[in-house]
Amino acid sequence: MLNRLRYAAAALLGRARVDRDLDDEIAFHIDRETERNVERGLTPDEARRQALVMFGGAERLKEAHRDARGTRWLEDVVSDARYALRGLKRNWALTIAAIGTLALVIGANTAIFSAVDAVLLRPLPFADPDRLVMIGENNREFLWHMADAAPANYLDWRARVPGFSDAMAYADFPLSVTLMVDGAPQLAPAAIVTGNFFSVLGINAEIGRTLRDEETWRGGANVVVISDRLWRRTLGGKASIVGSTISIGGAPATVVGVAPPSFRFPRADVDIWTPISWPKEQVSAISFRRAHWLRVVARLKPGVSAADASVQLRDVAQQLKVEYPVTNRIMEAELAPLHRFLVGDTRLPLLIVLGAVGLLLLIACANVGNLQLVRAASRQREVAVRVALGAGRLRLMRQAFTESLLLAAIGGALGIVLGWLGTRLLVALQPADGSMVPVAGFTVDWRVAAFVLGISAVCGLLFGLAPAAWSSGRSPNEALAAGGRAGSQSSRVRGWSEKLAVVEVAIALALTVGAGLLVRSYSRLLNVDPGFDSRNVLATSIELPPTRYNTAASTSQFFEQLVARVRAIPGVVNVAAVTQLPLTMPGWSSDFSIEGASAGNFSVSLVHRQVTPDYFQTMRVPLLRGRWFTTADRGAPYVIVINDEFARTYFKGQDPVGQRITFDKTPDSSSTWRTIVGVVGSEHQISPATPPANEAIAPFTQEQSRSMSIIARTSGDPVAIAPAVRRSVSELDPQLAIASIRTMADVRAASMSRDRFLMTLLSLFGVLGFVLAIVGVYGVVAQLARSRTREMGIRIALGARGSAVQWLVVRHGLVITTLGVVIGGAGALLGARVLARVLYGIAPTDAPTFLLVIAALIGAALAASWLPALRSGRVDPVMILRDE
Amino acid sequence: MPSSSDQPDVLRGTLDLLVLKTLTLEPMHGWGIAQRIEQCSRGILGINQGSLYLALQRLQQRGCIAAEWRASENNRRAKYYRVTAAGRRLLGDETTSWRQYVSAVEWVLGAS
Repeated sequence: MLNRLRYAAAALLGRARVDRDLDDEIAFHIDRETERNVERGLTPDEARRQALVMFGGAERLKEAHRDARGTRWLEDVVSDARYALRGLKRNWALTIAAIGTLALVIGANTAIFSAVDAVLLRPLPFADPDRLVMIGENNREFLWHMADAAPANYLDWRARVPGFSDAMAYADFPLSVTLMVDGAPQLAPAAIVTGNFFSVLGINAEIGRTLRDEETWRGGANVVVISDRLWRRTLGGKASIVGSTISIGGAPATVVGVAPPSFRFPRADVDIWTPISWPKEQVSAISFRRAHWLRVVARLKPGVSAADASVQLRDVAQQLKVEYPVTNRIMEAELAPLHRFLVGDTRLPLLIVLGAVGLLLLIACANVGNLQLVRAASRQREVAVRVALGAGRLRLMRQAFTESLLLAAIGGALGIVLGWLGTRLLVALQPADGSMVPVAGFTVDWRVAAFVLGISAVCGLLFGLAPAAWSSGRSPNEALAAGGRAGSQSSRVRGWSEKLAVVEVAIALALTVGAGLLVRSYSRLLNVDPGFDSRNVLATSIELPPTRYNTAASTSQFFEQLVARVRAIPGVVNVAAVTQLPLTMPGWSSDFSIEGASAGNFSVSLVHRQVTPDYFQTMRVPLLRGRWFTTADRGAPYVIVINDEFARTYFKGQDPVGQRITFDKTPDSSSTWRTIVGVVGSEHQISPATPPANEAIAPFTQEQSRSMSIIARTSGDPVAIAPAVRRSVSELDPQLAIASIRTMADVRAASMSRDRFLMTLLSLFGVLGFVLAIVGVYGVVAQLARSRTREMGIRIALGARGSAVQWLVVRHGLVITTLGVVIGGAGALLGARVLARVLYGIAPTDAPTFLLVIAALIGAALAASWLPALRSGRVDPVMILRDE
Repeated sequence: MPSSSDQPDVLRGTLDLLVLKTLTLEPMHGWGIAQRIEQCSRGILGINQGSLYLALQRLQQRGCIAAEWRASENNRRAKYYRVTAAGRRLLGDETTSWRQYVSAVEWVLGAS
């Protein structure tokens, strides 16, 4: 076999040489035979003649020899490809149109697939990622599902579930620490993790070591693991970093190791992993089981299935219910494969985009198929001659496919380049927090290239189908009888291209409807009142290091001074501080009870924030009842302001002002009661799409926090005061680093970035699909109009009016479009349901969207049919008939 | 001079065997192989020249013989074939089975 291949390869590469060798060999044979005949006494001429007779048919031998080389099929392919290339060159306008369409659409598919591959298909970059599960807590009263776990519950799961080989945990909130580098403060994103965080994931340090299990507990030295990026870019990149001391939040910490560059967990930007450092004596405290703030990842023992472990976990949760009824009465635990959990919400939008881009590919295939048909039809005489000369049907079909595959190959090659550019674009388009594509990065690699190769081949076969079927089904009589009339088209071609155009219109309708629904949904989102005025507000977050700000007094002093300084900046109208900006994420939450109301009525938790006195005025949150906070609240009995949502849900008809609540479901003598002094408008805590939750807002004068956002309303462009705000911070505390300064308009836009991402991509694909389909309709109608020019000329000569002739042509386009609209409309009605979960405030069957898109498609198709119709109407019969 | 039409054609399938056997004596070019087979069979076996060159191609593809260009006995450039190790193995196998075949046919013909 190997010998055969080697021989075939040699024969193919040196085809000319092999042929020449054989010629020489035959010549030598005949000469030698001639010599022998001469020796026998024949005249030279006779000797040669007899030698030739003796040898027999040299040409037949050569042909047989060539066939036996095993390279015949390849030589045919090469000659097919040459022929196809000539054909493509001859009609270069069509060729460029086809290749351009293919490159664009294959490029779009490449980019989207590379994202889907990176997020959904590739395994997580951990050891045996299939054995990792995420554990979350469920609470039907709080409507929790896979929610954060309480530390004590985590420790019990780890100790009691036999199917876990180990379980680690990390704090489920983004955190930044202040790092002193050469005397200058710098913010570094950090993660708080248990000591076995790295070992459960199976990650080893690049240099040094990772954390140790016992480092979960307070008592040892202060150690951290740093990222490769921080090590190389900021800390010098020398191996001596291991064992050295860095200053974090004003306290020294020893660097024990550097994580590998590819490790970006739990968040892509983490630079420092610091042990959670629990005091051992705290384990039995009730807060250790009440506060929920951990994400827990467990590794399954070999041979234990996720289902087995799930049952064991449920049993342990059951035991905890009985052992700790106060905190765990209705607390359940659930586990899910880590990959599926992390992919979470991005799965559906990505699949929707992938589906859309796939539909676009189908439209492009139909379009190019039609172009190929036009090309094939213009060559029908040539094909007929070849058939008449004995070309096999299979051979002709192969020829047609070769041409299509060649087109697809060129389009695919260009598509890879465009696709690579597309991935850059996608990275730029995706939400800033990386929530859409939560991976380190994605690009065009061999997997993606294989995908492109696959879809290019499928494309080539798909759009080659019509011309191939057509050219093989031809009878030479039919084609030759059609004579030399250029552009005349058999009904067969027309049938094929009409079908393709109908398909295009149908798919384009479905695609455009999907895009239209998302656009309308997004515009609804834009119109949602977030509960505050986002214009002209600057915001920045500040985290005070606990080492230097360890008293309530120092904390409140810092923020009060900062607020005062910022207020003094020219152009600032109002300024305040708040623990959690709206449209980001909810603050901490708890259960609650209202004084005098029976317990157990409340099944939803309450979200908390603290604000400085001017917060509501600065954000322009309306006061509905009672009063705002004032500085007079300092030292006074506890007061609270609630949002409208809370007031309407739990104080139906009554005035909440003056009533008292506590953040405890079953209040006892130790509970702190707070008097409601005001009701304000509800702000959306997470995003415009998520309705406001019940919220209780406490005055900063009574409850301090080291983590606050400063907001400043300005009379002009808020960005202009950013340098002054920065200066104010460093004047107050030169060792404090400041996070990025944003405007609230940015914050608002970021909260809708995923919707915008999806809408942008789908609109792009929708418009492309729409244009391609209209071009397709135009092509078919124009081709038909041209092929009927003679008929039109005769009609006009016989007295038909121009408008009647035009109508004939337009009607043709209209029939195609209507058919496509009916089929596509039905498909869209069924298919739009997948969009339901990503739409806001609009039904997937939204009638205005459907009608608008249908009207637009029919309108555009009419216009596209009108152009060729105008030409037909102006046909000069004399010219036409003279041409004959 | 024997004319090719008087001679029985070499049995289908045995040509490869004869070519291999001839080449084990010494490397030879196509014409020489034809001559040698005719001589050795005392003029009984005639070789169809076309079949000969196809057989040479076939054997070369299977790696049983190798070819090179060199000067011939009359100082011309000629393509010489020689048997490879694989060719010798094949010759051994084929010779055995040919002998078995011949004796089997003999037995049948000899039976009365």
